[in-house]
Amino acid sequence: MEHSSRKIWEQPWGYAEGFLFAIGICLAGIILQLSIGKIEPALFAFPVNSIIGALFLTGLLAVHLLAGKKSIVRWLSGVYATIPALVLLLTLSVILGAIQQQPQGTAKELLPPNLFGRLGWYRMTTSWPFVLLCFYTLVILGVTTLRRTAQKQGWRDIGFYLNHLGLFTALLGGLLGSADMVRVTMSVQEGAVEWRSNNSSGEKMELPLAIQLDSFLIEEYPPKLVIIEHETGKMLPVSRPGSYMFEGVGKTTQLAGCKVEIIDYLPHAAVFRDTSFTNVVPMMMEGAAEAIRVKVSKPGLSQPVEGWVSNGSYLFPHSVLQIDDAISVAMPQQEVKRYSSHVTVYTEEGTTRQAVIEVNKPLSVEEWMIYQYSYDDAKGKYSDTSLFELVRDPWLKVVYTGIFMLLAGALFLFIAGPKKRRS
Amino acid sequence: MTWDAFIYYAIGAILLWGAGAALALKYHAKRLPAILTLAGLVVFFFFIAALWSSLERPPLRTMGETRLWYSFFLPVAGLLTYLRWNYRWILSFTTILSAVFIFVNILKPDIHNKVLMPALQSPWFAPHVIIYIFSYAILGAATLIAIYYLAREKRISDKSRMMRMTDNLVYTGSACLTLGMLMGAIWAKEAWGHYWSWDPKETWAAATWIGYLIYIHYRLKTSSSNKTSMILLLIAFALLQICWYGLNYLPSAQQSIHTYTS
Repeated sequence: MEHSSRKIWEQPWGYAEGFLFAIGICLAGIILQLSIGKIEPALFAFPVNSIIGALFLTGLLAVHLLAGKKSIVRWLSGVYATIPALVLLLTLSVILGAIQQQPQGTAKELLPPNLFGRLGWYRMTTSWPFVLLCFYTLVILGVTTLRRTAQKQGWRDIGFYLNHLGLFTALLGGLLGSADMVRVTMSVQEGAVEWRSNNSSGEKMELPLAIQLDSFLIEEYPPKLVIIEHETGKMLPVSRPGSYMFEGVGKTTQLAGCKVEIIDYLPHAAVFRDTSFTNVVPMMMEGAAEAIRVKVSKPGLSQPVEGWVSNGSYLFPHSVLQIDDAISVAMPQQEVKRYSSHVTVYTEEGTTRQAVIEVNKPLSVEEWMIYQYSYDDAKGKYSDTSLFELVRDPWLKVVYTGIFMLLAGALFLFIAGPKKRRS
Repeated sequence: MTWDAFIYYAIGAILLWGAGAALALKYHAKRLPAILTLAGLVVFFFFIAALWSSLERPPLRTMGETRLWYSFFLPVAGLLTYLRWNYRWILSFTTILSAVFIFVNILKPDIHNKVLMPALQSPWFAPHVIIYIFSYAILGAATLIAIYYLAREKRISDKSRMMRMTDNLVYTGSACLTLGMLMGAIWAKEAWGHYWSWDPKETWAAATWIGYLIYIHYRLKTSSSNKTSMILLLIAFALLQICWYGLNYLPSAQQSIHTYTS
């Protein structure tokens, strides 16, 4: 080590001081956590977060202008301070990634009453050590970037600024903005108009916009057939459950050692069943189930078994076809391919907008993004209720500015590679 | 093309890659090893493309499908390293590692079906996952070099050349890691309402990213030790493994919305 003859805290500082600094910040965080508990994001909502942000930026600038040449600031804007901060941030991230996190709204009494709980590890992202360490990293990023501006600029500096300023912007925007973010859900019935929403703790909240659900549609994948074990309901073969997706009448497939032939298919059927018999008839109305008639043969079976299989609906029971004492043919719930809501959105200003909202295709109305969130599970494809999530994040532009700078910075690194070393 | 045909294409590709790797070790001429490796890649990619077309969706949903791409990108990373830095061992390394992932897929095949849940139906799906798996392969190649270095440190004559090689691989790999992560963030905003939710997968992706940032920053000091640098690479790659599949074995994984096995 180059500083081996140097005592600790004696200039110039190195990694040892970096680790002591970063650990000290964590300890300060732990003391705060133990004494006043976790951070309440609501306390930092606008304008508090903006004021903190402005003070933070002014402070960084002041440090750079007034003390930029001091050895401690030079040390803070270098690798010796950066790596320890990253190592501790990594340590907390590993804990955060290993311990099951509890929702932010969880009452303190419901958290496991152990040391991890007191240290804030079950809600790491609002714990003092984590947030203070993030701000410490931001300080390092800030002074490093400012110090670079005082140097002679070269083309490689473009990559440096994009990466460091980009991360600084995204991280600061994300940290400060989280207090202003609003996420609520809204359940709307077909034909109805709704403007009241629920937040994560179940409180009602009226929104400055209303959603009218004109229609709600679910598209499903074709039904599948599987062989199951009676007793357990497990799909066979246990090691790698097989399934067959319906492709049309007349096809034949092999499933778990059985030959399954598709004899008939009813997309809209009524299923009547009691202990001894099952009857399936076509029925064109809401609540109809899908049914497939199959013929199954299996080595050791004297003659093939034939009958209807259905996964039922909220009106009709599901129905399996017993092959022998041990196994049956069954039709699991169909997987959803697409679900979409045709909506008309009204705002307080009097504007009206018609749109289709589906997963991955949110609608942006004024400050809000409206997401397709869920539907009435119990009614399945006949659901007439659509559940939306509405999100308002005024700081998104700041974070996106940072993200796009980082994206450009990553492309720069990809093309430019590491700095050539003088060997 | 169904999954059952995989074994034939896989064996064909491994034979071609193996022949390329053997020739690279034996002779100095780079053309034949490169052509053989490339031919193996064509065979392997033909299978991926045919599977893609038969599934009617990008084969990137299940763990087995990501392993498939990893087996493909490892020889790509090996070939690039071989052609660029003339490092003759690398093709053998990447072929062996790729074969390991192929055998996992043959012995423990995943269930492949056409189902693609609505959350994955996005133009971001393919680029987000492919660029991640590509970066995993590049960083895997860097890890192989690190292991080689740590095992034979005393016998390596040109250490600085080796460090340049890992630096280059890590810069490329980390750049792709960053691109994959940020594409994921933009996609998450579209699909889940927030660009970063500290989902276990996201947390471990951040941890992996920080791991490679530590290596990159550590290497900036000319006084840094080569050995420590290589150990940092091993730690970062261990984090990457947890992010990729290891977290399925952690208690926190139950909460992950990054689970797509139907």
